[in-house]
Amino acid sequence: MTVRSGASAAATAGIALIALFAFVAIFADLLAPYDYTVQSRTLPNAPISTVAFTDDAGNFSLRPRIFASKMTDALRQTYEADTSRSAKIKLFAKGYDYRLLGFIPVDRHIFGTTDKDIRLNLLGTDALGRDRLSRLITAIRFSLIVCTIGAVLASLLGIMIGLVGGYAGKAVDTMIAGVADAVISLPAMIVILAARVAFPLELPPFTAAMLLIGLFTFTGWAEMTRLTRGLVKRTRTLDYITAARISGLSGARILLRHILPNIARPLLTQTTLILPAFLLAEATLSFLGVGLQEPEPSLGNMLAAASDLTQLREHTFVLLSPAIVIALFVLAVRLTNTGINTNEDREVI
Amino acid sequence: MLLLITSAAAFFLLSSSGSDAFTSLRENPQVSAATIEKLRASYGLDRPVIERYGAWLASAVRADLGESFYYQVPVTGLVLVRFWSTALLAFAAIGLACVVAVGLSFANVRYRSRTLSIFIDAVILIFASTPRIVISLFSLAVLVSGAINSVFLLSTISLAVPLVAILLAQFGQSLNDAMHEDFIRTARAKGLSETTIILRHAMRAAINPALTLFGLSLGALLGGSVIVETVIGRPGIGSLTVTAVRNRDIPLLMGVMIVVSLAVWAGNTLAEILQLVNDKRIRALEAE
Repeated sequence: MTVRSGASAAATAGIALIALFAFVAIFADLLAPYDYTVQSRTLPNAPISTVAFTDDAGNFSLRPRIFASKMTDALRQTYEADTSRSAKIKLFAKGYDYRLLGFIPVDRHIFGTTDKDIRLNLLGTDALGRDRLSRLITAIRFSLIVCTIGAVLASLLGIMIGLVGGYAGKAVDTMIAGVADAVISLPAMIVILAARVAFPLELPPFTAAMLLIGLFTFTGWAEMTRLTRGLVKRTRTLDYITAARISGLSGARILLRHILPNIARPLLTQTTLILPAFLLAEATLSFLGVGLQEPEPSLGNMLAAASDLTQLREHTFVLLSPAIVIALFVLAVRLTNTGINTNEDREVI
Repeated sequence: MLLLITSAAAFFLLSSSGSDAFTSLRENPQVSAATIEKLRASYGLDRPVIERYGAWLASAVRADLGESFYYQVPVTGLVLVRFWSTALLAFAAIGLACVVAVGLSFANVRYRSRTLSIFIDAVILIFASTPRIVISLFSLAVLVSGAINSVFLLSTISLAVPLVAILLAQFGQSLNDAMHEDFIRTARAKGLSETTIILRHAMRAAINPALTLFGLSLGALLGGSVIVETVIGRPGIGSLTVTAVRNRDIPLLMGVMIVVSLAVWAGNTLAEILQLVNDKRIRALEAE
């Protein structure tokens, strides 16, 4: 009993986290306080803004305000709070224009400050003075979109090939199984890197996204095919399939209407399992500089800044924030899956 | 056969892309188009793809994989040296992961402590969720701080962490399952000590699923070496792949692909043989 409730608590936590990620991805522009490309050359590698709950006279106030950051050493890039300049934090402040959900023109952002020149950098700024939180939010959106589309396409392709393999004759099946096993056993990362060379190293963001999706589909389908094949083979000998065949239904109809619905659940689980793998792959490629490239932010190319060890020692948390996001996402998917699998038991298959 | 398909697919994909080691030269105003064509001709890049693949294949069967554009040395030697370096790393990582995973699983079934099993679940969850980039960066930071001075040790740890999670989950589960088998009850009835039962009987039954995992994880380890070696700056097959990609060094990439495919195939075969040696039931099945 305790195991079950523990498992469902894990599933709830996981689903809540995934919902949060989806929310961030959908409302990225609303949640990002600043344009992720706007640089501030006077504030490179600035720390997290100093927030104080005081008014101008120094008394306690519920309305928080922030102080401007002042560079104290240009060479070592150290900062201190400039107490003479401050701005109040404002909810739904005016900022850059964007389209909410892709069609409603808006210029409000969830928070901002009363003074445009004093920026609230909740995660500090990067080496070019860009707001790191805004970049992180945009990166989450990019990664989630690319990985979700990649996972769906890879799954669909894998399921299609697997259905054919599981149901077709021995020769076709053996060939499909051979190719799938070969693709699975090769290290995906090296295959993706090798295939990446076939395209120019520097790509505009949209092309880069399409390419990443293509590469993920190209390497990700095999796992799905293996699973589908196995499930189809186990199902096709069942009585109701024999009944369907005797009543003269076509092979395609039996596959799609009778077999597929009954093996859908484990296939869905597998789809959610490849999602974090793709997220990691995207981060790795962008980290190596062959995925999404500057000035567009991605979880990987933001992490590349952490290779600067002096910076990493000074700003450990903010530099590793993309990694924390990746870890949280992987954790969320794992929690959801363990929870669901424990609850549903294994009798499903 | 598999190698032939892989190599052909890779070769045609890479060659038909229309970009090669000299593509970047086109953007250089000091180099004329005629010079580039001459350079390409001197490397035989102006010939048709099929002809080039034929030539490549003919020398590949004599273990000559051509010359690297970037390093200007024969690919075969370079790839083998780097592969050996990564293989050592991978073996060390597998060894380390085994010691940790088997040790923890053993302690778990031996002492049946609630705290320990929660600890193991936490280790699986955390180790599996931490991106390899972060582990590598952390290792790099440790290396620079001077606390641990061995590049090899730190690379091994970085490579082993996700493997520990996979092994611990798999081996822990199968060891647990094995403990409920009838032959364990028989062993208990014989009056054997719990430690002997686990070590001699349960482990042997639990090891086979883990062996399958080995064959599969070899590929994952080679893939993981890409990140670990690039971040920590250790020469190996992973960092070699990245160099080849960045410099569009297609002969080198082909060499990497061939050696990696061979290694993975060898790993899987080895795992299968070990399973046969370990489990009489499979041997009986094969004999039928």
